[in-house]
Amino acid sequence: MEKKKLYWKICCFAAVFLCIITYTPLIIPQGVAKPMLGGVPYSLWTSFIITVLLVVITFIGTRVHPGMQNEEDDL
Amino acid sequence: MIFWVWVFGLIYAGMLVFASLKSYKKGRSSEEFMMAGGNIGLSLGVLTFAAALFSTFTFLGMPDFFRINGIGAWIFLAVSDGAMVFVLLWFGYEIRKKVRGMEFRGVSGLISRCYDNKLAGYTFFLSAFLFLIPYVGIQIQGIAIFMDAAFPESLPAWGWSLGIVLIMLTYSEIGGLKAIIFSDAIQGVLLLAVIWIIGWVCLDHFGGIGPMFEKVGTVKEELLSTPGPQGLLTPQFLLASLIAILMIPVTQPQFTTRIVVMKSMNTMKLMAVSLGAFAILVILPTVFIGMYGADLYGELGRDEFFANAFLKDQHDAVAALAIIGLIAAGLSTTNAMIFAMGSELRGLLTGAEKVIMKRTKIGIFVFSTIAFIFSIIVFDQLVLLARVSFAGTGIMGPMILLGILSDRKISPVMIYLSLGGLAIFLLSLGGIIPSMYFGYRLDLLLFIILGISAVGSYLSSEKRVVSDTKVNE
Repeated sequence: MEKKKLYWKICCFAAVFLCIITYTPLIIPQGVAKPMLGGVPYSLWTSFIITVLLVVITFIGTRVHPGMQNEEDDL
Repeated sequence: MIFWVWVFGLIYAGMLVFASLKSYKKGRSSEEFMMAGGNIGLSLGVLTFAAALFSTFTFLGMPDFFRINGIGAWIFLAVSDGAMVFVLLWFGYEIRKKVRGMEFRGVSGLISRCYDNKLAGYTFFLSAFLFLIPYVGIQIQGIAIFMDAAFPESLPAWGWSLGIVLIMLTYSEIGGLKAIIFSDAIQGVLLLAVIWIIGWVCLDHFGGIGPMFEKVGTVKEELLSTPGPQGLLTPQFLLASLIAILMIPVTQPQFTTRIVVMKSMNTMKLMAVSLGAFAILVILPTVFIGMYGADLYGELGRDEFFANAFLKDQHDAVAALAIIGLIAAGLSTTNAMIFAMGSELRGLLTGAEKVIMKRTKIGIFVFSTIAFIFSIIVFDQLVLLARVSFAGTGIMGPMILLGILSDRKISPVMIYLSLGGLAIFLLSLGGIIPSMYFGYRLDLLLFIILGISAVGSYLSSEKRVVSDTKVNE
């Protein structure tokens, strides 16, 4: 249970971290479209990766959420 | 095209009739009617949540938003949705834990109990009413505009709107929430299929993703970066939008209800992940349609862009499918919102169950009528109005989160602050007070101030005594 709590906290931290960096010049430099990846503008491909990572973190979150497994309606 | 509209229209109508009859049960309880018996499985759960979330706003609004504002629109919606599903997982657990063992009668009823104060419920209901009804109105208007473009001079725009409202009322009256969830499922599948077919055609026009952005760059280079040609998608706008969208599962009653009526915690958490994947799949083709519009119809108005990109440039069968898909999208979302408003009203009413149900149904009728009136008089960009709707209800987020998460006796100060925040936001929307202060957006400031106030209120409140908790549950 303690490990799950720790993993869940890591997931929360990772989600918050990804959200914060999205709104910095690291992901959305104003007026800059390069470097492109496969012809896709910089802010689009980086934010696409962030979106996928957020969904992956949510998936991991479903496995490590400390409360979920103990719910009686899951049994 | 008319032939295909009839073919797909009849199939869709047949599915709706089947779903409403399947959901209809003589002598059903109000709980079954309003909450679908609280037994929704994974597939239905994902599709109903997705359909309520991705509506005309996504189908028409997002391509238009990409066309005008460029690739930053992905951050506006997709990144925000990615983060929102994480919040959904966390909040879903908390609210289901809170309502366990008690009858859930909407967020208004729940929040009144959490605060031991009816004003909390009324405040939430007021914000939902003020910000959901215009949004419903513009969804109906979106369909009417599209139908007018598809069948010019057959019916006035208000005639299409009225038709949509009547179908919506009849359908929800027969089948209740379960029928709405079935129609959502049909719409979810249809939306995904249609948006990908049209998106694929648009991508094919360029010959691939790389050539698409290369071409768009030559048309208007600003579309390939933020803040976009109009300078709208600034970090501040995007951050405030993120917070507003994160609050959707908390503050928009049609979503909160869906979280609660999921069969189990397990299905709820799987629904959250699937919804994230669904969001990426649905938003991606809107980039292609938007870029296509930027290339060919960058100078045209919204309605001409819709008519060309979704109808005239498509094969007849695809155009017909787009029409039916749009009707389905608008119908299920407006249905979900109006029904949720009824549900919220029910949570605030007291008295005999039969009387409450009668008043709830009258309420649903009144909300539909107001939404119909709005559909005739309001005119705005779909996405921006949706954002106002998310932000307006989002102001209630800190109050609701405090009520649901807190194990303490909470002071009513947070209710008054939320009411004040709502009034200030309304004044700024009306242009009576400015919407920027010290270089910061008012909605962002309100989120921050109310969030800090909620934390302060929690820290300064006392622990509940046991008997107090029992009374509330």
